[in-house]
Amino acid sequence: MTDINKNNIDNITENNKDEIKIEVKNLNFNYGDYHLLKDINLFFKKNSVCTILGPSGCGKSSFLRTLNRMNDYTEGSKLTGEVLLDGKNIYSKSVDVVELRRNVGMVFQSPNPFPKTIFENVAFGLKIHGIKNKQFIEERVEKCLKYAGLFDEVKDKLHKNAFSLSGGQQQRLCIARAIATNPSVLLMDEPTAYLDPAATATILDLIADFKKFYTIIIVSHNIQQAGRISDYSGFFLDGELIEFSKSGDFFTRPKDKRTENFITNRF
Amino acid sequence: MLKLKLNHKDDLFKFILSIFVFGIILIFFTVVTVILYYSYPAVSRFGIAFLWTKEWNPPKEIFGAATFIAGTFMVTIIALIFAIPLSLGIGIFLEEYCPKFLKGFFTIIIELLAGIPSVVFGVWGVLTIVPWLRKYIEPFFKSHFSFIPFLQVTENIGYGILAASIVVAFMVVPIIASITKDSLAAVPKITKDGALAMGATRLDVIKDISLPFSYRGIYGGIILGFGRAVGETIAVVLLIGNQAIIPKSIFGVGYTISAVLANTFTFAVISPIYASSEVELALILLLVSLIVNIIGRNVLQKVIGGKLSRAQFGGG
Repeated sequence: MTDINKNNIDNITENNKDEIKIEVKNLNFNYGDYHLLKDINLFFKKNSVCTILGPSGCGKSSFLRTLNRMNDYTEGSKLTGEVLLDGKNIYSKSVDVVELRRNVGMVFQSPNPFPKTIFENVAFGLKIHGIKNKQFIEERVEKCLKYAGLFDEVKDKLHKNAFSLSGGQQQRLCIARAIATNPSVLLMDEPTAYLDPAATATILDLIADFKKFYTIIIVSHNIQQAGRISDYSGFFLDGELIEFSKSGDFFTRPKDKRTENFITNRF
Repeated sequence: MLKLKLNHKDDLFKFILSIFVFGIILIFFTVVTVILYYSYPAVSRFGIAFLWTKEWNPPKEIFGAATFIAGTFMVTIIALIFAIPLSLGIGIFLEEYCPKFLKGFFTIIIELLAGIPSVVFGVWGVLTIVPWLRKYIEPFFKSHFSFIPFLQVTENIGYGILAASIVVAFMVVPIIASITKDSLAAVPKITKDGALAMGATRLDVIKDISLPFSYRGIYGGIILGFGRAVGETIAVVLLIGNQAIIPKSIFGVGYTISAVLANTFTFAVISPIYASSEVELALILLLVSLIVNIIGRNVLQKVIGGKLSRAQFGGG
């Protein structure tokens, strides 16, 4: 419950831009006999957008799920190494997973609104984290819907079922939901995979705007998108991190032949 | 030539199969027609008052279904009161908490439970539930709760509405539990993940996501369980005490529609109006179970696409 009442959303902190937000050290992830992630080392800087690229099955989604411990529920999986969020290992025993996930929001591949009203969807995280102040919840819901660029479209039907929205609107609702608990990191697993070009463009604009507030890590297989919106890019292949660098270098001067092959569409 | 011959055989086979199908449809309508036809004398003589007349007196030829309807609904409702929480708990545990390697095993046990013939359940009830009620539960209620209506113990024999209800509850649990499990399994994983990723606990997910998502299916399962409980016969005959009175307590003896039919229909044929009255009881039961099954299936079909396993329609 530490940060949920503050409105970081309004107090943009650009001063510590070069600070490291997340550092991943010697991360290995096994699922049964599969060695899904092999000795991953990388870091994400505060208020940056980073895209993780790679062909299907390369482990990029699994990697993303290790950053908010969604892999906790995968039966028969084993993880070694460290993920440091603001310098603290999220896998240490003292970490409260509920608070971790409040701080690290997630947006999924396809829109996954809850079977509730639009309002209740956005308020869900606040309620889960014990916030009962009605006025606060109402203000926060409105604010988050505005930030997600959805408010004007839904302001007259906040109490209608979320499934009545279009796919693109649902995904923006899920983004509003994810930012309602005031996280500092947003994980996005191919957030535009099932959206049409117009809805995709809206989401990409949001992401570009959002890095003022959040450290954003996106998993994608869309090279053009990554080039457009991200400050850093990484390339995964068969569970290994092949290359990770500033997007400018990554796309124009890849160091590894395999990265070059991938970004020139040879996979 | 060969092709023609094969086609001919194929057509013949198809024709025979369609006769089978037609036959079973015919049987269904015959059942309905015969029940309607033979109940007509009683329906025209006693009218709608049949439903609330308490007296069932074959020598005087006065027949009313009230005692049996009361017994049937008491057994059904009490059985569901026991069965619903138990089944929901089992279904939720199997789908949300149970380790994978145990889930299959437990599921098989539940399906087997559904397949146990009801007379075996009845015998088990006579051997275990009846003495347990007589020795422990009824004396306890008699000394502590005798002031509460519906909980008074007068006879302390173990047999009665409660004994029948408990055993029927165990017969209904597999139906509701397996439908609950299947309905919960139909909740999209990505939606549950969405809630977990917001910091929800598993309990939050069950309460706020899974149950609201699957309540229709669970509701359908409860309706099917109701249908099973309403029609349950042999176990009830062995346990309920078989007396045509409206029970004043859950510990009292009573009678259900199905039990009175099983016990007395063979004697009833001596008198046309006696027989017709019993057929009218059958008609009531038939209508209730048809309606309940139609509602239950419709509700379920919308949720899990009509994939219902044997456990969900266990024999009775």
